[in-house]
Amino acid sequence: MTPVLETTGLGVRYGRTWALRDCSLAVPRGRVAALVGPNGAGKTTLMHTAVGLLKPSAGQVTVRGEVAFVAQDKPLYDGFTVAEMLTFGRRMNPRWDEEAARDRLGRLGIPLERRVGRLSGGQQAQVALTLALARRPALLVLDEPLANLDPLARHDVMRAVMAEVAAHELTVLLSSHVVSDLTDTCDWLIVLNGGRAQVSGDIEDLLDGHRVLTGPAGLAEGVAARTRVVAASGSGRQATLLVRDRPVLDPRWSDRRPGLDELVLAYLRSPGSAALPGPARQGVGA
Amino acid sequence: MIEFHLDRGSGVSTYLQLVHQVRHALRLGALRPGDQLPTAREVVESLAINPNTVLKAYRELEREGLVEGRPGQGTFVRRTLGGATLAEHTRLRRGLEQWVRQARGAGLDQDDLNALFTAVTTDLAKEDIA
Amino acid sequence: MIWLTWRQHRAQILVTAGFLAVLGLLLLGSAVEAKLYVAEHAPPSCPAGTAYCGDLDVAVALGERYDAVYSLFGWMPLVLPALIGAFWGAPLLGREYERGTHRLAWTQAMPVRRWLAVKLAVLGGAVVAGGLALSAMVSLWRPVFRDGIDSTFGNIGVFNMVGVAPAAWWLFAFALGTAAGTLFRRTLPAMALTVAGVAVAMFTLVTLSDHYAEPARTVLTGTVVFDEPDARLVGATWLDPAGREVADPPSSVCPRRVDAGRSSRNAEAWQACLFGKGYRYAVSYHPPSRFWRFQWTEAAILTLAAAALGGLAVRRTLRRRA
Repeated sequence: MTPVLETTGLGVRYGRTWALRDCSLAVPRGRVAALVGPNGAGKTTLMHTAVGLLKPSAGQVTVRGEVAFVAQDKPLYDGFTVAEMLTFGRRMNPRWDEEAARDRLGRLGIPLERRVGRLSGGQQAQVALTLALARRPALLVLDEPLANLDPLARHDVMRAVMAEVAAHELTVLLSSHVVSDLTDTCDWLIVLNGGRAQVSGDIEDLLDGHRVLTGPAGLAEGVAARTRVVAASGSGRQATLLVRDRPVLDPRWSDRRPGLDELVLAYLRSPGSAALPGPARQGVGA
Repeated sequence: MIEFHLDRGSGVSTYLQLVHQVRHALRLGALRPGDQLPTAREVVESLAINPNTVLKAYRELEREGLVEGRPGQGTFVRRTLGGATLAEHTRLRRGLEQWVRQARGAGLDQDDLNALFTAVTTDLAKEDIA
Repeated sequence: MIWLTWRQHRAQILVTAGFLAVLGLLLLGSAVEAKLYVAEHAPPSCPAGTAYCGDLDVAVALGERYDAVYSLFGWMPLVLPALIGAFWGAPLLGREYERGTHRLAWTQAMPVRRWLAVKLAVLGGAVVAGGLALSAMVSLWRPVFRDGIDSTFGNIGVFNMVGVAPAAWWLFAFALGTAAGTLFRRTLPAMALTVAGVAVAMFTLVTLSDHYAEPARTVLTGTVVFDEPDARLVGATWLDPAGREVADPPSSVCPRRVDAGRSSRNAEAWQACLFGKGYRYAVSYHPPSRFWRFQWTEAAILTLAAAALGGLAVRRTLRRRA
């Protein structure tokens, strides 16, 4: 299936430093892709490039269909009423579902005549999301959509996004640095590290393709020689390895499927240039 | 209609939790053939989970022959779970009641009863596997 | 998009329109009052409604009556463009950057270049219209009590309030503010830069305006007073009997004594002595007939500068630095 979002050799440079470098990835239609990585990894830069706020310095980015964006901090015009924000959306976009937008806000109990600046943080997030969804985009890009929201508002926002994915053929790219926020909602994972894409693929496939091995530290090197180790840690006599594939093991080793946060952390701890035999840079499972 | 819930700390993957809950409801008779399962959108709106997870759970149930998707209508229960017919249920229950009375008469309390029952079912299960 | 421009900038538009309306009423009131005063006090020999014929008494009296208005008026050529630049120009992009709303506005289906083009065209047009309205009001008002002694050319402050100059100044300030907004990405520093920039530009153009045309030159004998009230003096120098320019006639020709206090008796005696010895006094100036030439020159410079600044703002906006 043709991906909705595709980047090839994408690079973005600020002055002399590359915020994003040689980044190639694709998000298939209908997926909810999690974009994770430490601060400064290039998450926001990648998103800004995808929505056209930034021009690539190298390579290219392709979005098939209309893209809607909710920036970090969900910017809105504070002095506008909610109804005026809807007018803004209607006048700025030829494709606009006013009825759905009013319906959504009505169900959320957000009064149309209230000034945006006087809404709660959760309500502002919902208004920003409503503006984006009313455009009926093919791709919805959300930069840290859950940051600064209380647990209830986080749940409400994710519910709204998920319902939209279920109802329309919407593809979502959302960033977060809290991996646990993403476990039940995302089905595609992109790990950015130091401006490069480290992982990109289906989450279930990725989790199936990795194992967490625990066993005697003395045998770790032998195992490492036979498989691709993503990350290794250990305390004293016991070693824990996160590896790709499933090696034939000495019975002294136990192995299990990793959790999403374990997998993400393992990759973030060992960027491609680490001493351990790292993964291929183009990612895994793709 | 079944209402799903999630136990996020259980370590069981979300789609399996949904599958288990449907199976459980079928066993208890809370879901019967012809009943409709909630649409992916309804599940997603209440649980804030990825719709593909719901679809994956429904596909699994379909594969097991428990439910069927009717295009444009939704997903419906095809058959019930539980190995025995209602008549057998009643007969077995009577037998169990008799056994419990005998055990009480022999001086076993509730905990003893439970422990004995669990031990027997576990041992028999092991025998089956072997 | 026009709706959005209006909705986002209606405060500035309304305040400016309100200010112009109040100023218009003020000018109208003072003009009516001045007309009545003139009718009452003008010498009977003067043509009806004229404040000045032969003697300056009535005009001077009028000037004193409107001293307060005049001192306010004197600041307007500088203050109004500065305010326009600070409140119309600086927030246009500066505020969007400051609040992060550029990421909202520039990710809608409407292309950024169109968003910017409409804003610049609508607001720039409104600013020019406002400047022209001010110019029209001032031009109608001043003759009422400056009739016959008016100096719309010689007085640079007044020059910048009539003709096309106010519109050009307002447009320039607006463009400067807009460009400053993209530079700082914050409203307040952009406002400060705009005010400073307008002041510097005004000072520069006042200095520069002497060179808008080759100055006319006239040679005076018997007096150093150049009797052309509305001319702009560029320079003056003594010519010796041979016609050569001398910066300072040697004291050997005529001895000069310093005047005490406010008296100019010694200076006048010294000038009379020089004229007697065949010296002449050359004055270079711009005659008031050059009013429109200077107006258009100044307007052209300011419009070009506005276009350059506007281009800079557009370039910085379209270059896409999120």
